[in-house]
Amino acid sequence: MSSTLKSSPRKYRAFSPARVWALATNTVTQLVRMKILFLLLLFVVIVVAAAFAFPTRSPEQQLKLLKDVVFGALQVFSIVMAISATALLLPRDVEDRTLYTILSKPVPRHEYLVGKLLGVLLLIGGGLLFMDVFFSGVLWLKQTMITAANIEALKSEQSDTPENIAAVRALIAHQGLTWNLHAGVWCVFLKAAVVASLALLMSCIATSTLFTILVSFCFTIAGQGQGLLRSFVFKSLPVTWKKICSFVLALLLPDLGLFDQVQAVIEGNSIPLATLAETTGFAAAYVVLYAGVAHLIFSEKEL
Amino acid sequence: MKLNRKAAAVILFVVAGAVKLPLEERFSNKLRASGLLQMPVGMEARESLGQMGFAASLGGLRSLVASITYLQAYSAFEDTDWGKVDSLMTVTTRLQPREVSYWDEASWHQAYNAASSYQRDDKLRAALRSKLYRDHVERGVEILQEGLRFLPDNPKLLIKLGTIYAERLQQPQPRKAAEMFLRAFQNGANNFYERRAAYELFKLNEHETDLQAYEIMKRYYDQGMKMKSSTIMHNLPILEERLGIPPEQRVKAQERDDPLKAPNVQPRLPQS
Amino acid sequence: MIEEKKQSKSESPKAVSVENLTKIFQGAMGRKPLTAVRELSFNVAPGEVYGLIGPNGCGKSTTMKVMLGLLKPTVGSASVFGHDSDAVASRHDVGFLPENPYFYKHLTGRETLRFFGKLCGLGGSELRDRADAMLDLTGLKNAADRRVGGYSKGMLQRIGLAQALIHEPRLLILDEPTAGVDPAGSRRIRDLILELKARGITFVVTSHLLEQMQEVCDRVGIMSQGRMVREGRLEDLISVENQTEIIIEGASAEQLAQVRAIFAGSSGAKIMSLGKPRTTLERLFLETTVQTGDEE
Repeated sequence: MSSTLKSSPRKYRAFSPARVWALATNTVTQLVRMKILFLLLLFVVIVVAAAFAFPTRSPEQQLKLLKDVVFGALQVFSIVMAISATALLLPRDVEDRTLYTILSKPVPRHEYLVGKLLGVLLLIGGGLLFMDVFFSGVLWLKQTMITAANIEALKSEQSDTPENIAAVRALIAHQGLTWNLHAGVWCVFLKAAVVASLALLMSCIATSTLFTILVSFCFTIAGQGQGLLRSFVFKSLPVTWKKICSFVLALLLPDLGLFDQVQAVIEGNSIPLATLAETTGFAAAYVVLYAGVAHLIFSEKEL
Repeated sequence: MKLNRKAAAVILFVVAGAVKLPLEERFSNKLRASGLLQMPVGMEARESLGQMGFAASLGGLRSLVASITYLQAYSAFEDTDWGKVDSLMTVTTRLQPREVSYWDEASWHQAYNAASSYQRDDKLRAALRSKLYRDHVERGVEILQEGLRFLPDNPKLLIKLGTIYAERLQQPQPRKAAEMFLRAFQNGANNFYERRAAYELFKLNEHETDLQAYEIMKRYYDQGMKMKSSTIMHNLPILEERLGIPPEQRVKAQERDDPLKAPNVQPRLPQS
Repeated sequence: MIEEKKQSKSESPKAVSVENLTKIFQGAMGRKPLTAVRELSFNVAPGEVYGLIGPNGCGKSTTMKVMLGLLKPTVGSASVFGHDSDAVASRHDVGFLPENPYFYKHLTGRETLRFFGKLCGLGGSELRDRADAMLDLTGLKNAADRRVGGYSKGMLQRIGLAQALIHEPRLLILDEPTAGVDPAGSRRIRDLILELKARGITFVVTSHLLEQMQEVCDRVGIMSQGRMVREGRLEDLISVENQTEIIIEGASAEQLAQVRAIFAGSSGAKIMSLGKPRTTLERLFLETTVQTGDEE
């Protein structure tokens, strides 16, 4: 064991990706060991049930139903994770005084925040990636089965002309597995990232886990309706209290509705790359804003 | 110093909010214009959805909520509860007005299932039966017309509407049916629907429409064996008579005798 | 294994310097502001073990938190080896063991140390070696791969000490290092402090167990109601001017009889007592401090 003391301390850097990464991976380990990933198992059950348990109807409806249920589950999973994981981490570190131990190391407070947020995002991203892969597999399987059954039906009606078969294939493929679905999953991730950074901000203001969770959920739900509020504000109405309140709320809330392009994806529409990039830009701006405000508050926080 | 940072946080939050507001408005309008985002759910649908359903439809689960109301409508259909089918399908189409199959199915339930079910209902007086039949077919037409406002020129809806005009009304409307089929064909439907439009035009027995029908049928006839369906083989000579086509331009008698040679070319629907 | 630390001349003369520190907590929602520390000043020299003692609520923990940059002083300043304790860089020189330390219970002891090591900029084989050495030092080698959630209080305290030491800090701040630990465990911690002190590490320690403080501290400061009421070298504070205490280890009965014999014939000096050493710091403590809740 080296026992001499270094007279010159280790070089200190104002921002160290290694430290942030250590905090992020520690957060992931912590959450994983909290068995939070059992949710994934639940997801698997939901997907399989949606794919095979419902009565057979038109091929489009079958595939649409599967996509509806899966994207619903993806969104619920990612939002619940984003809020509860974030809300569990920070106030808990304060309550357990783990935060003292961490911040008494040469860790700037903003790195702590970024590390925690990154950890939650890694976990959600990993979870969504897993679900995307699994769901794609099931969708592809289902699609193959439906296509085969439909071609079989055409054969039995003796109308299996090449055009008819091609039409059936095209119809099913349109509702089936496409690259767009992954774009949809990306939108789900973006929304979760915004919600997670919002929850991070809340947990810097609040002191308890429960309060953070409740307020974050309220903000999330209200954020979904922000578009409604905003359109009300932008209508040329006389200025009333109602309008002022709407304006204030719209100012404070993120427009989470922007990420609901998922709905269009389910219907088989495609999101152009430029739009996807713009959506990502919006998400990044929200995350940076909320993390920045969280930092301003957290850096002043007396522990 | 202490006050400064907290004040800075509040100011940053508000200023960023003011900056983002018009940007969000612009972007979401753009998304709506390109069909990637839907308009908020209307008031009527909001009532039928209840609190939970409405909240969920706001919360990015609109498609899922639509799927659920659709399944509810399906089970109401199994119970032949037509009023419930209609209101649930209305909610479903309100939630996802760009989903063709919801409009298609909503109109089919009314114009076909509900209408026929009332028509066959022995417990009802005859006069009432036919009124209920008529009302439900008309409801189907209404649904399709509304759907076409969201999905203009969607061939699937046009075909459905054309078929109802041609087959389901007590007084069929071949002119309107033909118009729908033609529009469907012009918007990507299979060429069967152009011929179908011609068959409807044929029924009108007017000079203008006869000319139009003749043009279409002759064109397919000239394309060869495959397109000579039994209807064409039957109708063409009649049109030739009505229009006074010179004998040398008329279809050959021997072919007319054997119309069944033509294969079944009724197509499946392509997707819009 | 133990080497005396050689003081380099370039080093700051003060390991810790607290100057005129006042900390007032703003009362939330109309509550009265609370002055936790008033005009506190003290210095700790490198290599020294400094004991900060005082009743609960006297401002010890607040002072420590200011030294660690967890709290900002309302007035005055604190610095560690010349760095303002507000600056994150100052924490390179400090290891902190909080009172009743709590770690991520899902991590094993080894993972905990590696995590904290990474936060201090360690990595690779250096970090592995360092973590193993610390597990060795604190006697946790056998428990290294068990989750911290299952550790006993004494083990938590030791893993806390190990994490505080992971980056070889020059200063260790220990908040109640032996609170709630059984006698054997606390003796072990005391021995560790002495061992590390021999290596030249500076300590600031708080404890209620005054007997232990007496064993390890070079100097103590006694705080009461946010102020320093007495401060100085331990011997100076608790020695009685005209008395000398001799503590002999392993003396036989004959040897003790010889000692008695020396003074038996002396006219000026006499033996006042002969027995086990007694806590005198405790007496001093009770004399000088006001318990929380007592009237000022």
